[in-house]
Amino acid sequence: MGLPALAAEADGELIARYLTGDEQAAGELVRRHTAALARYMAAQGAPAEELEDLTQEAFFKAFRALASFRGGASFRTWLLAIGGNVLKDGRRKWRRRQVVELSPEIRDPSGDPAEHADAGWALERLEEGIGKLARLQREVFMLRAQQGLEYPEISTALGISEGAARVHYHHAVKRLMAWIQ
Amino acid sequence: MDPMNAELPDKLAAAVRALDARAAAHAARVSPDHVASRVLERLRREGAVDSRIWWMRPATLRAAAAVVLLVGAGWTVSAIRQHSVQTAVRLPVSIPVDSLSAQQLEAVLKAAGEVRAANFGPVPSSNGSLDSLSEQQLQQVLASL
Repeated sequence: MGLPALAAEADGELIARYLTGDEQAAGELVRRHTAALARYMAAQGAPAEELEDLTQEAFFKAFRALASFRGGASFRTWLLAIGGNVLKDGRRKWRRRQVVELSPEIRDPSGDPAEHADAGWALERLEEGIGKLARLQREVFMLRAQQGLEYPEISTALGISEGAARVHYHHAVKRLMAWIQ
Repeated sequence: MDPMNAELPDKLAAAVRALDARAAAHAARVSPDHVASRVLERLRREGAVDSRIWWMRPATLRAAAAVVLLVGAGWTVSAIRQHSVQTAVRLPVSIPVDSLSAQQLEAVLKAAGEVRAANFGPVPSSNGSLDSLSEQQLQQVLASL
């Protein structure tokens, strides 16, 4: 089957094809979800220079555990949860960058310089604050605030109750607000 | 739903947007094709399923380590408690025997005997009377308590 045809298939179909030995299906799943996974990990402080390795590690673990994927959450959400686990292991190995600079890609030359400085400071504090959150608080917050997921899907992906997800999110917002004030 | 949802306070929502923009810029440098080829190559090399024996898997090893830690901590706490119960507290008490009457000495010895019996079992009865003990013997008796 050609790549355009594969691209039209749903994740579930690709998973089924991979489980029967179709490597191309796995390749398509990787291509489809790499950007979202890398973005999720980068937002949680994964160093840019290690982002590809971490992404690859998360996909590798996901494919090895694919038989246990039950479909309660989407493949992407399940993959992001695995990415969270990879980050947890990675945090022990790498230290977060101490100095955070706005990337040229997001630096806006227009507007008030004071506002930019304030925004840069808030971003730096947010990154520090996210790094200091408890793991579940951090993951629930990122899945909701960055990925825009609803609580039922978050709770399924992380294996916690919906109520617990709400509580973790509430505490994360409270702590981060205090951190960036 | 807008990922940077309206439920966040403005300042936090703005910071999350900036964080996400930077994360997206970093993620854009990751080549999906390159990741795909590396993942597939690794799956071919190391196997598509985790073929390690169940007790060699990281999760199992982590659980075993946790059990060992728990048992060790429990054993240590238990040993410390037992030690603290068995260790009698000795207070340096100096009583001028000369200043006590025979009755007072009897009372002191009786009270000390009760404490000792409570902690270490009954004190063997003695037929001797305090009156028959010399001052030195009384000092020795008190010192031994």
